[in-house]
Amino acid sequence: MSASGEAPPARARARAARSPDRRSRRHLALMLTPYLVGLVGLVLVPALVTLGLSVTHYDLLRPPTWAGLDNFAALLEDPIFRVALLNSVVFALVAVPLRVLLALGLALLLHRRARGVGTARTAALLPTAVPEIAYGLLWLWLFNPLYGPINQLLRAGGEHGLTALGRTPPQWLTDPTSARAGIILMSLFTMGETFVVLLAARRALPRDVYEMAAIEDATGWDVFRRITLPLMAPVLALLAVRDAVASLHFTFVPAFVVTDGGPPPYATTYLSLFVYQTGFEYLRYGYAAAATLVMMLLTVAAVLVQWRLIRRYRRFFQV
Amino acid sequence: MTDGLVLDGVSAAYRDTAVLHEVDLSVSRGELLVVLGPSGAGKSTVLRVVAGLEPVTAGRVRIADRDVTDERPGRRNVSMVFQSYALFPHLTVVENIAFGLEVRDTPRRLARERARAAAETVGCAGLLDRRPGQLSGGERQRVALARALVREPDVFLLDEPLSNLDLALRAEMRAELRALHDRIGATMVHVTHDQTEALVLADRIAVLRDGRVEQVGTPDEIWRAPASTFVARFVGSPAMNLLPADGPLRPRDDAPTLGEEPLEIGFRPEAVALDATEGTPATVDRVEVIGEDAFAYLSLAAGHQVVARVPAARRPERGAAVRLDVRWADAHLFHAATGRRYQP
Amino acid sequence: MPPLLLLVSGSLTEPGLPPSPTPQLVPDPLSTTGYERALDLGGLLRASLNSVLVAVVAVPLSVLVASLAGFALTRIAPRATAVVVAASLVALMVPATALLVPRFAIFRLLGLTDTLVPLIAPALLGTSPLYVLVYYLAFRALPADLYDACLVEDLSPLRTWWRVALPLVRPVTAGLTALTFVLTWSNFLDPLIYVYDRDLFTLPLALRSLSLLDPTNFPVFLAGAVIATVPALVVFALAQRRFLHHDDRPEG
Repeated sequence: MSASGEAPPARARARAARSPDRRSRRHLALMLTPYLVGLVGLVLVPALVTLGLSVTHYDLLRPPTWAGLDNFAALLEDPIFRVALLNSVVFALVAVPLRVLLALGLALLLHRRARGVGTARTAALLPTAVPEIAYGLLWLWLFNPLYGPINQLLRAGGEHGLTALGRTPPQWLTDPTSARAGIILMSLFTMGETFVVLLAARRALPRDVYEMAAIEDATGWDVFRRITLPLMAPVLALLAVRDAVASLHFTFVPAFVVTDGGPPPYATTYLSLFVYQTGFEYLRYGYAAAATLVMMLLTVAAVLVQWRLIRRYRRFFQV
Repeated sequence: MTDGLVLDGVSAAYRDTAVLHEVDLSVSRGELLVVLGPSGAGKSTVLRVVAGLEPVTAGRVRIADRDVTDERPGRRNVSMVFQSYALFPHLTVVENIAFGLEVRDTPRRLARERARAAAETVGCAGLLDRRPGQLSGGERQRVALARALVREPDVFLLDEPLSNLDLALRAEMRAELRALHDRIGATMVHVTHDQTEALVLADRIAVLRDGRVEQVGTPDEIWRAPASTFVARFVGSPAMNLLPADGPLRPRDDAPTLGEEPLEIGFRPEAVALDATEGTPATVDRVEVIGEDAFAYLSLAAGHQVVARVPAARRPERGAAVRLDVRWADAHLFHAATGRRYQP
Repeated sequence: MPPLLLLVSGSLTEPGLPPSPTPQLVPDPLSTTGYERALDLGGLLRASLNSVLVAVVAVPLSVLVASLAGFALTRIAPRATAVVVAASLVALMVPATALLVPRFAIFRLLGLTDTLVPLIAPALLGTSPLYVLVYYLAFRALPADLYDACLVEDLSPLRTWWRVALPLVRPVTAGLTALTFVLTWSNFLDPLIYVYDRDLFTLPLALRSLSLLDPTNFPVFLAGAVIATVPALVVFALAQRRFLHHDDRPEG
């Protein structure tokens, strides 16, 4: 009676359990196809093309010619590339922690329900919704040494175009250090996404832990240092890595629109701008692809760090 | 009688763990079978295999004399009441009930009409325009029943439908469910871990243990002639007492002829007489009083334990020395090695 | 928030005035000349139309792709789900600028440069793989019994998605639609690379050429920036309640 002889092995059938019939399988394949096409066509294939282009000389007009590792050798020698790499890394190391800290501060400040908190949250989030280019143009104006409101403010109370302390106000877009600081300042206001995630993370923390702390009469600082920070550390670490990767991208528009990679010597030329200029202004696509590859390697490194962080915190929470 | 539902040597697995082992079951048309067992016994898997939500690894499933083993769930003409009721939160009650008809392209007006009739049958006709979020547990239960009812399926599958209700409501719905079954005469498979529910509702009960059918029988058979120590102890509360047949307690009237092999003797707490002047001596460990009844937990020689049910008014004191007695007519015999019932 | 106020204030300043010696939040005299010039000079109307066209096609398409894929991921074999989710996470980590060159090469090969197609194409990715994953998590969070009930009622996956799953995650759809719109509307990099024909310029691109026209005429391009910003802000503000306040109910 038992049909165990004809039935397929248990494993095969169990795996099919979620889509047992042919109609379902056909439908599901159909539903997934557009996304898979996008994933393969817009990410996977381009990534492979980058690999291919990076070992060629290619200017879009003539067919690519084999270059071997020439592009990479040239990158090593290229002072502009080295500056761009350094700028990107420095930006990630300075701006990212600042952004995460600011977002954390706001999240801790605004996680409770209170009068005005809703408005404040919206206010913290809105700059993130401003189109990058509009945001860039705004700062182009804000930073203008003559017309810009920032320096107007700094000059208030002073005479002859000096600040109240008698010093020259910063020449935002012509002095390398000020320009770098300016770009970082710009990036601080757009931490809305990080803020939302941290807000959700803070609200997800168990309430009884805080009630316990209140019973123990812990000070605010103690609560932050001993409870909030350790509990949110995994999220913070992940956001920092994610932000660092994203910073490779979101430095582009500010550098492109506001400082144009300057002031000399390439003070705000970041990897993204370098790739854009090399490819689309100097038409050296092979060389740009090689630089892109370096960028992807940085990303991979960041992802690996993230992976290790996840693993470590998993263990941490299991113990 | 034609068969409503037949499981023929059905095995099923979750991941690589076998959950059902060659289960044979048959339910006659119009019968209400209750599948009873502790959690993890594979009760719900039986229902899910019948519905086609879980694949079989071996065996066949037949519904209304039709082999449906390879059919998808929607083609088996079964309906299911889930433990969580699985009502669609975004649809009103009447839309929920008519859902199964409308998605099978029944004209909208006809579907609504039949939905109304089904709601009438289970007594939720007054709720048609509400949404599930506005209903109490008992009301949701009724809507889920109406939704199962409306399509007039070959088999109704009910997966612990009463377990989310409070005690009083559960007893009420239990009676209504039984009345409903008698009225519409549908084939039903009802899964529960509650032995009272099984005894009250069932035409027949199938007791499941670790993915195997331990016994199938009418509630009377299950109660009076449990096929194994497992069934004996699972049905009845407190559980049946079990002692070695050659142990400290032996019924004193005419003994049946016993074989050589080791046996166990089982008797329910109700069968223990405490006020005997003769019999096996025991000490009262503790006494639980539940209204008119009291349960005395007794220690016998060699550390054996026995529970006895006595009228609360005549309960013994804790620590008291008593003598207890059981009649052979009330006793069950099991093989000590296998736990199966012993037939003299 | 202060930058936004300044943006509006700057855009209302009379063009061509010498820099004011003191900072003013409310410009004196108040003037809308910036807006008039911006519309005249920059071809902003034409560009707005292009932007709207792209958004009207790309946003619904993107949400559709993301929700279909997210739903399918909850229904296909777990191993296939794991592969697609892993691939999505990897794709998520690749910075957009890293894909500029190869994507450009591919679109050029397909002869699609200098059309609006490359601006709409990211919709196939759900604009961001993140949104597919968000949908996946939302659909997975629905009770499994609901899906089983649909199977018993013989609903195909497509109808289960449309009749049951999608209506139950409306807040997610609202939030993701808003984010998709903001990203599509603001997209600057793609038009910059793929579109050279002025008639195909989208708003961000037109804004840039406006600023290059006269880099010191702030009121004009700030007015343009306001015009480009307002739709994004409006959509964003409408949807933000969903993800900022959804959990504001009293706890416990």
